[in-house]
Amino acid sequence: MTQAEIKLCSLLLQEHFGEIVEKIGVHLIRTGSQPLRVIAHDTGTSLDQVKKALCVLIQHNLVIYQVHKRGVVEYEAQCSRVLRMLRYPRYIYTAKTLYSDTGELIVEELLLNGKMTMSAVVKKVADRLTETMEDGKTMDYAEVSNTFVRLADTHFVQRCPWVPATENSDPGPLPPAPILVISEKDMYLVPKLSLIGKGKRRRSSDEDAAGEPKAKRPKHNTDNKEIFRSLPVGYNISKQVLDQYLTLLADDPLEFVGKSGDSGGGMYVINLHKALGSLATATLESVVQERFGSRCARIFRLVLQKKHLEQKQVEDFAMIPAKEAKDMLYKMLSGNFISLQEIPKTPDHAPSRTFYLYTVNILSAARMLLHRCYKSIANLIERRQFETKENKRLLEKSQRVEAIIASMQATGAEDAQLQEIEEMITVPERQQLETLKRNVNKLDASEIQVDETIFLLESYIESTMKRQ
Amino acid sequence: MAGNKGRGRAAYTFNIEAVGFGRGEKLPDVVLKPPPLFPDTDYKPVPLKAGEGEDYMLALKQELRETMKRMPYYIETPEEKQDIERYSKRYMKVYKEEWIPDWRRLPREMMPRKKCKKAGPKSEKAKDTGKGTSLTNTADVLKKIEELEKRGDGEKSDEENEEKEGSKEKSKEGDEEEDDDAAEQEEYDEEEQEEVMVYLGKMTTLIHTLKMEMILVQTVTTTWMKQPIKL
Repeated sequence: MTQAEIKLCSLLLQEHFGEIVEKIGVHLIRTGSQPLRVIAHDTGTSLDQVKKALCVLIQHNLVIYQVHKRGVVEYEAQCSRVLRMLRYPRYIYTAKTLYSDTGELIVEELLLNGKMTMSAVVKKVADRLTETMEDGKTMDYAEVSNTFVRLADTHFVQRCPWVPATENSDPGPLPPAPILVISEKDMYLVPKLSLIGKGKRRRSSDEDAAGEPKAKRPKHNTDNKEIFRSLPVGYNISKQVLDQYLTLLADDPLEFVGKSGDSGGGMYVINLHKALGSLATATLESVVQERFGSRCARIFRLVLQKKHLEQKQVEDFAMIPAKEAKDMLYKMLSGNFISLQEIPKTPDHAPSRTFYLYTVNILSAARMLLHRCYKSIANLIERRQFETKENKRLLEKSQRVEAIIASMQATGAEDAQLQEIEEMITVPERQQLETLKRNVNKLDASEIQVDETIFLLESYIESTMKRQ
Repeated sequence: MAGNKGRGRAAYTFNIEAVGFGRGEKLPDVVLKPPPLFPDTDYKPVPLKAGEGEDYMLALKQELRETMKRMPYYIETPEEKQDIERYSKRYMKVYKEEWIPDWRRLPREMMPRKKCKKAGPKSEKAKDTGKGTSLTNTADVLKKIEELEKRGDGEKSDEENEEKEGSKEKSKEGDEEEDDDAAEQEEYDEEEQEEVMVYLGKMTTLIHTLKMEMILVQTVTTTWMKQPIKL
């Protein structure tokens, strides 16, 4: 893990779980797999606290354990899972858009608690919804569990591995750690809940248990006729119009949809890898434009298109004077967006007889940008913490005043008294609070947006690595 | 070798034109320090995305942060004890739910060892150590009494008695510190009583009726029992 990633993980863990968990977590990320006593010794924390911290981390799926020979259990942290914590708000929002408030609350509860049993989740969510509903109404457990089943079907929610029940029930020596097993089939199976008094629901995904699990459907080409049949009724698109749309999509230079044959009226396939590649390239271009200017962006797009270009050719094609072109190329080179490729003319790589070509290596540029994103988010979080710490006194004061006002309103007080209490915070202090709030909001929003870029770049890099 | 051809004159080993610098042109300066911490940028950053979704996600993020702090998973660092206990601290404590992990899913070594549990064993531990020390104290004292008896030296025994009394008092205070609960003391005392009786029995067989020893025995029992025994 790079230093930037470790720093970001440390900040995230500290914000969400406190300093002790942060210390243990960062130590594990740095040093890899370690047994319990070594962790306690190296970090200098008491065994008790290490145990608590590890319990919390395991509960949240950030640390896994493995039994090695001689019964030693080793713990390993998963850095990528820690970085996912940035994305929680986006997950919850997506669940909200697709499954409304119930779905949102289910996902939120699961994210806050790491792992939970279905019954516990359903109960908690139903209680929370009941609180927000009007008096007298209660949330039906069946509805909540239905939403849960739908979430499991679309793989938002996944079942954790379980200890297999051993047949022999003799109390032999227990293994030092349970071995968690899960079969592919069971990953998205939801247990049969008997909701006493609130109606029952059938077991879902019975069909899936028989055949191939849903998770592993391979990419396949879809027939023109299939597409036509699977369109929802409300669209009201005729076959000809559909054909036109499909040709339009397939001819698009971005190549999201590709035509892979003519059988059956045309076979169409979605190129996920190409789509990710286009998105990553677009991100890179946008970054170059915003950093170096539109002329640099022109040169960048040119080199991207032509793959390899010499210095002279760049000047000619881009129609930019030599001096400026050279300057821009070197700026981009030092920013690692563009790289130099040497092509020797003679076996001894004499510099006077070598071609130097400029090229864009998208994978390495994407990696560089991703690393930069991690650094930026770490900086944003640090700045936000700094700002909050600077104004801690003021924040506490405003919280106290709010609490006082709330309690006074509850007991019933005159407006004049409330006014007086509110005046405890002076006008310049109010302004300071406003500025602080605005800054913190801006920093938070930036974090969310940088996280989006991270998602894109990570998906592209992963997809490329899988193909190799 | 080949590198001496220039006879000390500066010459590039490669065609400088290829890299883009014209002949005789001034090359850019060598940078001798790290780049500035906040470099000037020519272009302002693009404004953030704004919209209903983004606003909602922002609110979610901030709420999530606050909620996480109140969850039982947030382990707070134990603060150092302050000199003055603030009254307001008591009311600012956040009440957290107890969280018990599912032990079936965790390695066995994760479970807190029974020794660490505060409830039962601590008092037992205190009891044990208390008893142990008091018993060893009595054993020591009795041994010394035996030695004294064998020596039969009056003056020395006086001094030693005083020393022993001093040490007894210390041991008494030690015992008291170890006994946290007053309720436990009664049980403790009753058990002590039986054992003291055994020791007393032993003493009477061993010790002659020297006055010093009698006083010694009485003071010893009073410090333990806090009431005199009439022998």
